[in-house]
Order: sequence, then C-alpha cells, then structure tokens
Amino acid sequence: MTSAPNEPGNDDRGLNPADLHELRFTRASMLRPGYVDTEVDRVMSRVAEELARHIAEKAQLRDEVRALRAHVEGTPVPVAPSEQAVRILSSAQQTADAYVAEAEEFSRQMTSEARAVYEEEVRQARENAGAIIQAAQEAAAKMTVGMAGADAGARSMEELEEQVAYLKAFGQACRVQLRSYLEALLSDVEKEWGRADPALLPQQPARAPAQRSSRDAPDDSAATFYGNTAAEAPGASEEQEGSPATAGSRSAP
Amino acid sequence: MDIAAMRANFAKAAATGDEAPLYFYSHLFLSHPETRQMFPVSMAHQRDRLFSALGDVVARVDDLDALVPILQQLGRDHRKFGTLAAHYPAVGASLLATLEHFDDQWSPELAKDWTEAYTLVAEVMTAAADEAAEQPAWWDADVVAHETRAIDVAVLRIRPRAQYDYVAGQSLSLETNVRPRLWRYYSPANAPRPDGLMEIHVKARDGGPVSSALVRRVGVGDVLRLGPPVGHISLDAESDRDLLLIAGGMGLAPLKALIDQVSRRGPARRVDLFVGARNDDHHYDRADLRRLEQENPWLSVTLAVSEDKLSSLEHGDVGDVVMRHGPWLSREVYVAGPGVMVDDTVSRLREHGVPSRRIHSEVFAPSRPGPSLDGEVTE
Ligand SMILES: Cc1cc2nc3c(=O)[nH]c(=O)nc-3n(C[C@H](O)[C@H](O)[C@H](O)COP(=O)(O)OP(=O)(O)OC[C@H]3O[C@@H](n4cnc5c(N)ncnc54)[C@H](O)[C@@H]3O)c2cc1C
Ligand code: HEM
Ligand code: HEM
Repeated sequence: MTSAPNEPGNDDRGLNPADLHELRFTRASMLRPGYVDTEVDRVMSRVAEELARHIAEKAQLRDEVRALRAHVEGTPVPVAPSEQAVRILSSAQQTADAYVAEAEEFSRQMTSEARAVYEEEVRQARENAGAIIQAAQEAAAKMTVGMAGADAGARSMEELEEQVAYLKAFGQACRVQLRSYLEALLSDVEKEWGRADPALLPQQPARAPAQRSSRDAPDDSAATFYGNTAAEAPGASEEQEGSPATAGSRSAP
Repeated sequence: MDIAAMRANFAKAAATGDEAPLYFYSHLFLSHPETRQMFPVSMAHQRDRLFSALGDVVARVDDLDALVPILQQLGRDHRKFGTLAAHYPAVGASLLATLEHFDDQWSPELAKDWTEAYTLVAEVMTAAADEAAEQPAWWDADVVAHETRAIDVAVLRIRPRAQYDYVAGQSLSLETNVRPRLWRYYSPANAPRPDGLMEIHVKARDGGPVSSALVRRVGVGDVLRLGPPVGHISLDAESDRDLLLIAGGMGLAPLKALIDQVSRRGPARRVDLFVGARNDDHHYDRADLRRLEQENPWLSVTLAVSEDKLSSLEHGDVGDVVMRHGPWLSREVYVAGPGVMVDDTVSRLREHGVPSRRIHSEVFAPSRPGPSLDGEVTE
C-alpha cells in the first residue's frame, strides 16, 4: 500500500523504464546547482502514483490467482478479504484513530490548562497567607517592643525565631483553644460562677498571642500564655473531666 | 526453521511503519468480524507496539526456554480480553497474509516456517489459558466508595464479586464500562482482606482516558473488570529484615499494601516509608499515613516535596531525602513510582552500598507515550 520499498523498473504501461532512462532534467541555473526542482517533484509524484497502482494491481491479481487456483483445485475458497476491503477498512480505522487522538489531545489541553490555573491560584493563596503570617509576626514583634521597653533592641535573633514558632503554633492551635475556651467558659458559668473573678474571663484569650516574648517578666500576661498552651496540649481538652480547664483557673501557676 | 529469512521477511513489513499493523488488523477484522469488539476503538498506539514486539519475539524464537514463561503468562492474561482458542488460527492467518503482502520474495518456505512458529507460540498460550480455566477469565468488582483527595487524585474502594487472590504489592489491570477495551494497571494499596475490599489510588493524567474516567466519572455502583494480578513487588515470606520503602507519587499504593501486610501478618520489623511528591497538595494520603504512624510504633513516615518552597515538609527529591537519613545498608528496599524516580533512587541506593538483590522496584510506566497520534510525550 505504500510506495516505499519497491524499486521502479517493473514492466508497465503508464510510465516506462525507458522513459526514466531517457529522462533529462533541465539544469537549474548558474547560481543554483542541480535540476529544476518543480520538474523533479512532478516526476517523483508520477513515479509514486505509478508504484502505488502497481502494488494495488499486484495484490488484486494475487486475489484472483488464489481464487482461480482454488477453483481449479476444486477446494472451497477460504473467504480471504479482498485487498480493496482491507484498504477501505484501514483508512476508516485511521480516521477513527485521528478522531480519538484529537479528542484526547483536546481533553489534555483543557485539563492541563485548568490545572495550571488552579495551581497558580493555590500558590498565590499560600503566598498571601505567608504574607499575612509575616505581617502578624511583625506586628507582634512591634507590640512586644513596645511592652518590653528600652531593652527591646537587645532581643536576639533566637528570641525572634521563638516568637515566629510560637505564632505558627498559635495559628494551628487556634481552633482547639477556642473550643476549649468556650467550654471552659461554659463550665465556669455553671460551676465556678462567683468564685472566680468574672471580669477576668473574657480578656485572656484576646491578650494571649502577643505575650510570648515577655515570659521572663513575671507579670500576669506570661501566666496567660501558659494558660493557653495548657488548653491546646493534647489531653487538656474535653476529655479531662473533673478538672475544668478554665483559662481562669490555670492562669496562676 | 530459517530464522534469518524470517527476520528479513519481518523487517520488510516492519519498515513500512504503521502500514503493516494496519493491514494486519483490517485483515483480521474483515475475515473475523467477531474479533473487532475485543479491541479499543482507536488502535493507533497498539499497532506499532505489536509489531516491534513481534520482531523481538522472532529474534528469540530459537530461545524458546526464555520465551515460554512469558507466553504462558500472556496466554492466561488473554482470557480477560475474551480470547478463545478458536481465535488463534484467525489471528495467525492474518499475520501470514500481512507478512506476505509486504514481501515480494514471499515463498512457500517462509509460509511454512511462519506457520510453524506461530502455531508453537499459539499452542503455548492456549495451553496455559486452558490450564487456568478453573479461574475466572476476569473478575467483576463493584465500586463501593469513591473519594476525591486532591484535584486529580481519587481513592476508590472496590469489592470483587468472586474471590480475588493476590499478594500485597502486586498490580492488576482493569477496564471500566465507561472506557471499554482500554486496560490499564493499578496497584491495590492494601494487603488482601477477609472481606475482599481493595483500595485503588488513581491519579488523573491529562488526556489520559482511563485515569480521568476513574477519578472524575466512575462512582459508587459502577462495575470494574479486573484481570489477573501481576507485578515485581512482594515481601519475601522467609525474611524479617527491616524495610525501607520509597514511593514517588502514586507509587505509594503498592508500598502501603506492604505496610498493611506487615501490620496484619508480621513478622515484627522496623519500617521506614519515604513518600515524594511535587508539593504539599500532592500528598493526598497524608492524614491516613499519619494515623498509621501513630498506631504503629514500628513505622516511621517521612514526606518530601520537590517543588514547594513554602512547605513545612522535607525538601528535595525523595531519593535525596532518603540519603539524608539512613544508613540503610541492612534493609530490604522497595521502590515504586515513575521511571525516572525509580532509576535514580535505585542507582543511589546501589552507590550507598545496598546489594542489588535486596532492592525491589516497580515502575509505573505509562501505557503509551502520549495521546496525540504521533505519541508525543507529555510528562
Ligand atoms: C505496574 C503498574 C502499576 C500502576 N499502578 C498505578 C496506580 O496504582 N495508580 C495510578 O494512578 N497509576 C498506576 N499506573 C499507571 C496506570 O496504569 C496508567 O498508565 C495511568 O493511569 C494512565 O492511564 P490513562 O489511560 O489515563 O492514560 P494513557 O492513555 O495511558 O496516557 C495518556 C497520557 O498520560 C501520560 N501518562 C500516562 N501514565 C502516566 C504515568 N504513569 N506517568 C506519567 N505520565 C503518564 C501519557 O504519557 C500520555 O500522555 C501503574 C502502571 C503500571 C505499569
Ligand atoms: C507470534 C506471535 C506474537 C508474539 C510473539 C507477540 C508478542 C508480543 C509482545 C512481547 C508484546 C509486547 C508487550 C508489551 O510491550 O507490553 C506485544 C504487544 C502487543 N501484541 Fe503481540 N505478539 C504476537 C502476535 C500478536 C497478535 C496476533 C496480536 C493480535 C491479535 C497481538 C497483539 C498485540 C498487541 C495489541 C500489543 C500491544 C499491547 C499494548 O499496547 O498494550 N500480538 N506482542
Ligand atoms: C500468538 C498469539 C498472540 C500473541 C503473542 C499475543 C500477544 C499480545 C500482547 C503481548 C498483548 C498486550 C498485552 C497487554 O498489554 O497486557 C496483546 C493484547 C491483546 N490481544 Fe493478543 N496475542 C495473541 C493472540 C491473540 C488472539 C488470538 C486474540 C483474539 C482475537 C488476541 C486479542 C488481544 C486483545 C483484544 C488485546 C488487547 C489489545 C489492547 O489492549 O489494545 N490476541 N496480545
């Protein structure tokens, strides 16, 4: 079915070997060496056509020979598909292949574009989140500078990093803390009303995050911080019946 | 058999590229239309593989000892396509017609040699298929849960309707009713369970018909068809050496099955699992791995990311990360994932001094180069 591996030069009618032998191409020009390429192309395509015709004809003849031989020998002909049928089905198959490939290519482009957009959005969101955390860290640093007063300038890098680590942990623990705080509040309301100083309760969590670096200052803000970690530590939450983990009751170690 | 002549004859057909296989299939479908429905609609990618593979086999027809086990496995596996013994002569006739069509010097001797070779191969395959006759040709499995874990990853739980025997770490080929006749390999992520449930992890590949369907179309109530299990990974029952498991992407699935096996059956041993992915989001099974790590003191799990600067996980290719820990000289090592990752990791382990016989690997090769007609590679 292709023009590929058969050499020209079989006996034929349309294009004779002699034609090819006698064929002389025109020289292109003084400046461009070789033959005139349009001439060469035309001959080549004729040769290809001719070859294809030969191959098809040969196959058809083979079909016929086979059928005749079987007829002569009186054996039933195994219904071998004709060359023409094979060719038709082959090109139908190629069309189907091309459609499927096109559909898959389309779906590949769609999904990879969609993914690229998605990943970019996620990346930006995470970067923004990173920026927010950083801003929070800077703000926290400023607050503590304000609170720690004059010796703030001497704070080491280590302390800063500790702060950052704390803030990260705080972020993660926020939900746990909030829940245990609310529970603590509830149990407080139920059981400890009147014993604890009610005025203390609502303030603590709000003050907690900014207090970390001043832990060596033995004031009540440091104590508040410990109160919060206790609430986020595993085991310090709901399960601990009987020791109501109110922020208030833990705030004075 | 004049093998040299057969090779020369085959080379002529192979030299036509797509023409010969195209001719072969068209011939087959015309002479035996009942075989058409066994093949997928598009066969662009099967065709060239078939012919190059045939060439390999012709080259080895004189080394039947090496070929026989491969052919037996192939024959057993063919039952899942619905292949019957009666189909083999049909295929043989089309193969011969093809080889004849593309060879001007076709001769009765060639015809005789090819018939002999084909008959031999077909006999080995059909005999193996017959021997496996008491086994189902394929297993229907119900999808009982479908969970999307990342934009392109889903975890499916499936339950075969008949008993399906396999070993932790093996893979199986499967077909879905929404993508008929396309068979692809997946690895159960658990060891065999008494209730038969299997967990399959699938990542949708762009333009990949089967994986996208499994992630986005298939749901609870759909039925999958499973072929028999295959694979290069399994635990040596005799050994209780500590394990080092290294997964790239979806390569996690068969390694998780090994962990499951250790926890169900023992023997007690240390297991270190490393999982590499591009970024945080691709660690689709993180929560469950953390749970396993907490429940099993003998297990440690390290997650790594290769392209995520913000991640709090370890950074680097998973092979790098593994090498930062260790030493691993006494371990039995299992590696699964994409080809590049597996090759890279295995060669680093060898350099590290782990003997080759203690390194086992499974490459999650794509079923074909790419979805376009010319097979352009996309990843
Ligand atoms: C032994 C074995 C076990 C496997 N286990 C799993 C598994 O547990 N989970 C899983 O999700 N996959 C697994 N695979 C890969 C799986 O068999 C399919 O190749 C994959 O799901 C794609 O199928 P598809 O029909 O969607 O795409 P295909 O038609 O196969 O390919 C479409 C496009 O996707 C690309 N592509 C396909 N597969 C990959 C790949 N693995 N890596 C990179 N690019 C690819 C191709 O290059 C192509 O461009 C395994 C493969 C092997 C050989
Ligand atoms: C002597 C006969 C044959 C031998 C020895 C042979 C061997 C092989 C081998 C070794 C492969 C490679 C498998 C792989 O890479 O995974 C292959 C691929 C293939 N063969 Fe053949 N083959 C033969 C005849 C046939 C016939 C007759 C058919 C069709 C009915 C066929 C269909 C295929 C297909 C479809 C593939 C590619 C599958 C895929 O892409 O997944 N083969 N063959
Ligand atoms: C000697 C004979 C044959 C050989 C060596 C052979 C070989 C192969 C190989 C290697 C594959 C690829 C397997 C895989 O990817 O898992 C394959 C696939 C296949 N074979 Fe055969 N085969 C033979 C005969 C047959 C016959 C008789 C039929 C039935 C008509 C058949 C039908 C198929 C089908 C339907 C596929 C799957 C094609 C796909 O996935 O696209 N094969 N064959």
